[in-house]
Amino acid sequence: MKTLAMAALAIALAACSSAPKPAAEAPKADKAPVAKPDYFKVDASTAGSVHGKIQFRGKKPARKKIDVSEDPMCAKMHAAGLFDESLVVNPNGTLANVFIYVKSGLEGKTFEPPKEPVVLDQKGCGFSPRVIGIQTGQPLNVSNSDPVTHNIHPMAQINRAWNQSQDPGTEPLKRRFVQREVMIKVKCNIHSWMRAWIGAVEHPYFAVTGANGAFELPDLPPGDYTIEAWHEVYGVQEQKITVKASSKEEIAFTFKGE
Amino acid sequence: MEPNHRNASITTPLVILMLSVPCLTSCGSTKETPKTPAAVVAPVGTPVEIQTPLGLPPVPIPPGNKPTADTIALGKKLYYDTKLSADDTISCASCHGPAHGFTDGLPVSTGVGGKLGGRSAPTVLNAAYSPVQFWDGRAGSLEDQAGGPVANPVEMNMPHEVVVKKLNADAEYPKLFEKAFGPGPVTLEKVQMAIASFERTVIAGNSPFDRYQFGGDKKALSAAAIRGLGLFKDPAKGNCVKCHTIEEKYALFSDGKFHNLGVGMNAEGELSDLGRYTQTKVEADKGAFRTPTLRNIAQTGPYMHDGSAKTLRRVVDFYVGGGNSNPQLDKDIKKLELSGREREDLVAFLESLTGEVPKEVLP
Ligand code: HEC
Ligand code: HEC
Repeated sequence: MKTLAMAALAIALAACSSAPKPAAEAPKADKAPVAKPDYFKVDASTAGSVHGKIQFRGKKPARKKIDVSEDPMCAKMHAAGLFDESLVVNPNGTLANVFIYVKSGLEGKTFEPPKEPVVLDQKGCGFSPRVIGIQTGQPLNVSNSDPVTHNIHPMAQINRAWNQSQDPGTEPLKRRFVQREVMIKVKCNIHSWMRAWIGAVEHPYFAVTGANGAFELPDLPPGDYTIEAWHEVYGVQEQKITVKASSKEEIAFTFKGE
Repeated sequence: MEPNHRNASITTPLVILMLSVPCLTSCGSTKETPKTPAAVVAPVGTPVEIQTPLGLPPVPIPPGNKPTADTIALGKKLYYDTKLSADDTISCASCHGPAHGFTDGLPVSTGVGGKLGGRSAPTVLNAAYSPVQFWDGRAGSLEDQAGGPVANPVEMNMPHEVVVKKLNADAEYPKLFEKAFGPGPVTLEKVQMAIASFERTVIAGNSPFDRYQFGGDKKALSAAAIRGLGLFKDPAKGNCVKCHTIEEKYALFSDGKFHNLGVGMNAEGELSDLGRYTQTKVEADKGAFRTPTLRNIAQTGPYMHDGSAKTLRRVVDFYVGGGNSNPQLDKDIKKLELSGREREDLVAFLESLTGEVPKEVLP
């Protein structure tokens, strides 16, 4: 009897509380479209590729030290100082952090966004990596490995701009971009020096150069393409190239410093 | 039946019974049905004046429930008494206890299940000054608990019966209720009036800030806290007073209004709790919550309606970052230009808001 009364009471109160409902009713923005579009399938027997290196000419500039005194926790992580990474010249004379992608030539083809997320971590009071590429519709996971709060702010102009606070030890933020945007500047609203760049394109043909300055855009259907290379300091360059069936094309970009 | 209701009935009936008091306010405050003029319940003793410490205005007292020594004492007993729960394990103080500045020290109250949407227990300290109760303001004054007619009698009759029956059968309570309210059985209305009267004495002021600001003691605050106070008030810096108000003669640190800071956004960037909107259905109220007091804030962590901010430094960083963007973000929430030292100064100021709690309200 007691149990019954209690149960009834609980139900009554649960109903009574007019408590907040989870935001299930809120419209879901930026979600995958209902009807699955007709995705383009690359024919492996004819697909070619474009590869190359991003060269740097000129004087290698001295690294600039960043003032991190805004946050003592960040300063503690960088006793020897934190350096500006807007221009990273590799030992082999190439440039890192260059975003290369197919700017045109793929019109009319729709590519399925990958399910695996691109990860942007906040670590050592900086973004890692500094430059990322992502396909529109592909998940972006923003994690915080730092012992401090960050507030990531992708300052998108074409996509929706947003900012969100992220405390240490909290689950990654999961976002998507819906339209091509090269590039989206990302800052942290709390740590003014933090910078990242996101290149969002509607196909999988993009790359970011690393420590050897090389890139490759594999599995390209034969066709005429414009390839663009973007660098944070030196801006963009483009080149036209024709990819024939199963051919491996090579192109080189050179960015000039002072 | 929704799963969380079932859940509540299996695992948390006791807690839910406890919540019946504040909960009733939400349902009982519907004004549509005219009150049947039954015998008016009123305290029988001589009203006492609640002494307010430095920094607080007089406590608002509803004319129908002037606190007396007996109603306050009875309310205190009820507040700390686990008998109010079905299996004698939980009291109001379990979730609003003095050890944690009259909160539970938890991100969200356990046992509440899905029912309260995973909200953090606010402090009962100085709740007497809030024009509306709860994060979403779904209850009017503390007094609303005294219950106008319950919107849905089928839903609400049970808690009346359970709580009241138990108290009526108790060895002590009937006598105490008669002393406080005159002859007659224990009723829910009396329970709620007594608890409300006690809650009106649970106030805290005379903090270092009060002594500095209102008491003329320029040594009461550290240099850092004084700088923090300046930032707190400066519209070009913290602009905190915009919502956490400081008046000329007193400070409640709350405008009693609802604002959207973007607290409680999920990983996908959607509001997980619509807050004030659940009451008003006004679009602009989505994700808006009542500005909480900041008195004794150093004792009441974790912070925010969902308990998501662990420390005051995290709260300050949240504001520095401009909160979380969303369509209903309050226009006064934007990225702040505060240096590292200024952020620490703000924390030092918040820590200076811990005032004295009257000894009589402790168990
Ligand atoms: C299981 C934990 C729990 C228990 C027990 C509990 N409360 Fe609460 N209380 C809460 C939570 C959580 C909220 C906030 C709910 C919301 O705003 O939606 C709250 C809100 C309140 C408020 C509103 C304060 C404000 O500033 O808005 C008051 C007053 C209050 N409770 C008093 C009481 C009293 C009196 C009792 C005992 C009869 C009690 N509570 C028992 C968890 C509890
Ligand atoms: C636009 C109004 C507004 C402004 C401006 C504002 N606050 Fe708040 N504050 C709120 C609201 C509303 C909440 C509760 C938000 C929630 O939980 O969703 C809150 C919560 C808090 C809390 C947590 C309280 C608790 O009990 O959990 C602290 C601490 C705080 N604010 C301090 C500050 C400081 C410091 C500033 C200035 C830098 C500031 N606030 C500026 C409205 C404001």
